[in-house]
Amino acid sequence: MPFSITIPRLGWSMEEGTFVRWLKKDGDVVRPGDAVFELEGEKAAQDIEAVDSGILRIPHDAPKPGTVVAVGAVIGFLVGDGEAVPNSINANTSTSASIPKSDAPSASAIVQSLPSRLAEGHEAPAAAPSVRRLARERGVSLSALEGSGPSGRIMAEDVRTTAKGKTMPPQAHSAQVASPRARRVAKELGIDWRRLHGTGRGGRVRERDVRAAKPQLNQLSGLTVVPVSSRRRTIANRMISSREQTASVTLMTQIDATNLVGLRTQFKQAANGSNIPSYSDIIMKLVSLALRQHPLLAARSEGDQWMIPSMSDGLHIGLAVDTEGGLVVPVVRDVGSTGLFELANQTVKLIEKSRAGTLVVSEMQGGVFTISNLGSFGIDAFTPIINLPETAVLGLGRIRREPVVVDDKIVARDQLTLSLTFDHRIVDGAPAARFLQTVSQAIENPSAWLLRSDG
Amino acid sequence: MTNHDIAKTCLGLYRKMQVIRQTEEELARCHQRGLIHGACHTYVGEEAIASSVCSHLRTEDVVFSTHRGHGHALAKGLPPKELMAELFGRQTGCSRGRGGSMHLFSPEVGMMGTSGIVGPCILQACGGGYSFKLMKTDNVAVAFFGDGAVNNGAFHEGLNMASIWKLPVLFVCENNQFATEVPFAYSAGNPSVGSRGVAYGMPGLTVDGNDALELHRVAGEAVARARAGGGPTLIECVTYRTRAHAEGMGDFTYRTREDVEEWKKRCPIQRLRTTAIEQGIVTAAELDSVDGEIKGLVEEARKFAESSPWPEAVSATQFAYSEDPVSSKVPIQNLRPAAGREITMTQATHEALSEEMGKNPGIFVMGEGIGQRGGNFKTTAGLFDIYGPTRLCDTPICERGFVGLACGAGMTGTRPVIDFMFADFVLDSVGEIVNQIAKIQYMSSGRLKMPVLLRGCIGIGHSAATHHSGNYYAMYAQIPGLTVVVPSSPYDAKGLFKRALNSNDPVIFLEHREILSVKGPVPETEYEIEFGKAAIVRPGQDVTVVALARMVHLTLSVCDELEKEGISVELVDPRTVLPLDIETILQSVKKTGRLLVVDEGFAPCGFAVDVAAQVADRGFNDLDAPIKRINGAFTPTPYSPPLEQAVVPQAETISKAIRELMRE
Ligand SMILES: Cc1ncc(C[n+]2csc(CCOP(=O)(O)OP(=O)(O)O)c2C)c(N)n1
Ligand SMILES: [Mg+2]
Repeated sequence: MPFSITIPRLGWSMEEGTFVRWLKKDGDVVRPGDAVFELEGEKAAQDIEAVDSGILRIPHDAPKPGTVVAVGAVIGFLVGDGEAVPNSINANTSTSASIPKSDAPSASAIVQSLPSRLAEGHEAPAAAPSVRRLARERGVSLSALEGSGPSGRIMAEDVRTTAKGKTMPPQAHSAQVASPRARRVAKELGIDWRRLHGTGRGGRVRERDVRAAKPQLNQLSGLTVVPVSSRRRTIANRMISSREQTASVTLMTQIDATNLVGLRTQFKQAANGSNIPSYSDIIMKLVSLALRQHPLLAARSEGDQWMIPSMSDGLHIGLAVDTEGGLVVPVVRDVGSTGLFELANQTVKLIEKSRAGTLVVSEMQGGVFTISNLGSFGIDAFTPIINLPETAVLGLGRIRREPVVVDDKIVARDQLTLSLTFDHRIVDGAPAARFLQTVSQAIENPSAWLLRSDG
Repeated sequence: MTNHDIAKTCLGLYRKMQVIRQTEEELARCHQRGLIHGACHTYVGEEAIASSVCSHLRTEDVVFSTHRGHGHALAKGLPPKELMAELFGRQTGCSRGRGGSMHLFSPEVGMMGTSGIVGPCILQACGGGYSFKLMKTDNVAVAFFGDGAVNNGAFHEGLNMASIWKLPVLFVCENNQFATEVPFAYSAGNPSVGSRGVAYGMPGLTVDGNDALELHRVAGEAVARARAGGGPTLIECVTYRTRAHAEGMGDFTYRTREDVEEWKKRCPIQRLRTTAIEQGIVTAAELDSVDGEIKGLVEEARKFAESSPWPEAVSATQFAYSEDPVSSKVPIQNLRPAAGREITMTQATHEALSEEMGKNPGIFVMGEGIGQRGGNFKTTAGLFDIYGPTRLCDTPICERGFVGLACGAGMTGTRPVIDFMFADFVLDSVGEIVNQIAKIQYMSSGRLKMPVLLRGCIGIGHSAATHHSGNYYAMYAQIPGLTVVVPSSPYDAKGLFKRALNSNDPVIFLEHREILSVKGPVPETEYEIEFGKAAIVRPGQDVTVVALARMVHLTLSVCDELEKEGISVELVDPRTVLPLDIETILQSVKKTGRLLVVDEGFAPCGFAVDVAAQVADRGFNDLDAPIKRINGAFTPTPYSPPLEQAVVPQAETISKAIRELMRE
């Protein structure tokens, strides 16, 4: 029987991705480990490896490059020599899971210290769309089930059996339905039709219900509807989750950045053609030093637990980058032990990749802290949002020469405002303030801190 | 005949027979090796018949044949290599790989096709003869068929038509005494085929089918008679096939080895050789050299076939329809006018027919009572007086016969219009439509055209009861090669009828009996409407209704009332069921989000089903409600008025369905 090639889930929350292209041709021999196709997940494109061997067969109705495909969708087959070729991706076959080709460090230090249940148990269980719908209708949580199907896939029967045992009658979760047109219009307008009241037969949500949900948009002619890209939706969901799941507090302080400016001038003179470390680079390095003294600020929340990096773990720090497609946060590896000029090289590269949309998922994972710099837009202070599952984020404002009082004299100094948002569930106000103080001191005397850098 | 002529004839016949024999034997070998893919019926033992008859034919004369047709094709002039390549399934085959052994086409040499169906070749030869009569040429048409065909209705209907119209046709029956394994002596009440000629009023002869010289003489007389306007001849050739019915089939369950051996001794080739040498007409050396030459020819043919390319899979559907579908220069006007001179649908098609008959002398109409009488529905009123009996031809009641004839006529350059009165009667000829008319262009890889227009009334009404009320459009729409027109207005009827009369594809033109006298605006200037272009009969916003023929009028009758209730209906009339203008329907559903199909025909696998399925497929995201269908009740049409009313969709049914659709 041919093996099907399916769309893998990249990361935890991905429901669909964009099929980018095949990396093998129809008829090519594929061995386990060969990269077979490229898939764009929530934020980045990734090469997907085969786990079976066979001859690649791409049916006529396989997704074309650029199409959005659901996780678990079959997109092609691996067949044996002389084996019949399914002529449609809907043909029934045994499934060959594909695994993402990962060039990321396989697991971060944090994961290693996790209890094993958490380490393995978070993958969303495999189930066909029809089964997922059934589960939704019956109010059954898929993650609570053990699948009886091939490779543990949850089958409709599993859901029914569980639903029988439940006290909640199925009607209580009456299935919300919408016409195909209503779904399409809802998608175009960025409206969640599930929240709407349907006026059609049996409560079916119809186009008119969706349009009624956004009267202002409909009545104002001349407004264009902007389709929501999947990346935008991801960003939106992450922001909301952060707001909902954290108890965030922002602290702000104005500090003296004169020495920082001076140091950068020196770097400029010493650069000799290589990338000059930016303010963000220098501050990132200094933050990694401060985090060693305040490791709680580098905790990651994993389920009910908070994971704090140990002294031997490298500290990976994210840098918020603004791109045409929206915000992305590439992660600089092991900031503590990376030299400043090398750090500058890495951030330049990551920023370029972010803007080109070629970041791979692993380049955005594993961070313990994030830095966001809005200084170039003339912003002084703001309230950055925590990048889950991290604990804190540091916002950098603009550096500006201002009159300040030093020894009772008014002098011109470079001033910088730091905005630290932290999760009060994990850290209290005082320790967070102490961390900010440490960071401030480091930035005010950067040379000394860098020289005694412990990596 | 001079001695020289006799020698030439003998050598010519011998040569033809040898080409057939050696080619067939090579094909039998190839079949055994699996190089030939389907069935292969050889002509071994019967070579004298095709060779003798065809030696009197010119390229313009036409031959129609059967499943055992290799010999006829070769004798008519098909090069052996094109035959071999066809059986090998190659692009260079005479049917470009679309036919195989039983579907050989080479119109270039007057070989108009062999057929996997026993019988139709007889009717098609009548059609060829009819074309020649209409075009006043002295060409002849020949039908070769087996003893199995003479008990088939096609034989009876064909011989009768050829006789009453004195068509230049030879009916050559190859009585090899078996139809597959059924002995002719068993299946014929009158086992003398030749004697049946007299029953149809034509000369009928029985000849030794293995005597090439005698056959040559008899066929020569028959061909001459046909060319001179003396009408058809039936020739029974008594013969025997000395190989199995088809290659690979068992042979001795119904006849004995001894019988076969006995007949092998009567080999027509050997017989001619012996006679010719004995009578000093030709020398053995001359004949030997023919043998050697043909051996080389056949070898070459096989090499040609084997080395020829396969047809490209992407071309598998090419030629189902004509590559140059229309020849006319009349302006295309797909949009209906809002006003103007008003005439009925019957007047509209009549106008189209008479305009086109005036322009094209190849158009002729056949049907029952369409001559002097002018047609049951006045479809041809007055035309007989202008164009005469050959172009307005009253037929006997033999629907299969004259539809089969139309097929042969279409293949040979004229343009038949078959007027059925009621489409129910067409069913007697469905085999000719589905198996022949629809498929000929494809099987001949587009080298033959099939400009046949078949018209008849459909529809339920006025207690016509079940044999005068069928709706058959869905059935024909399942057949590749056909175009199915179902007009609802005089304007559409005229434009589409004119289009059909200029189309190279066969068209089934179905007129709903209940709307024939409904008037509508039709411009006096000429125009055509393209096939596959729907009409938006009434634009609207809320719900799309797709309907045909009378259902268009019925739907229209409820639109104003619904409009007052705030429901705006967009009514789409596809006008042709095949091809179907699904794009216009999708556009409409994109706007309205709702679809109702009103179809007087039956639901299963029907017109409404197809529209619904295509919209569900391609317009899924535009649908704001489930697709609804209204169909006629799935039952034969009853007579009694209340029963009749109960099986046909009513106006209230439609308005109710639309209101419900709005609530979905
Ligand atoms: C209408 C139809 N019915 C049945 C067949 C199946 N069939 C193929 S050949 C054959 C026998 C035909 O016998 P005959 O006409 O004597 O020709 P022969 O094979 O003897 O040359 C039959 C019944 C057919 N091809 N067409
Ligand atoms: Mg026979």
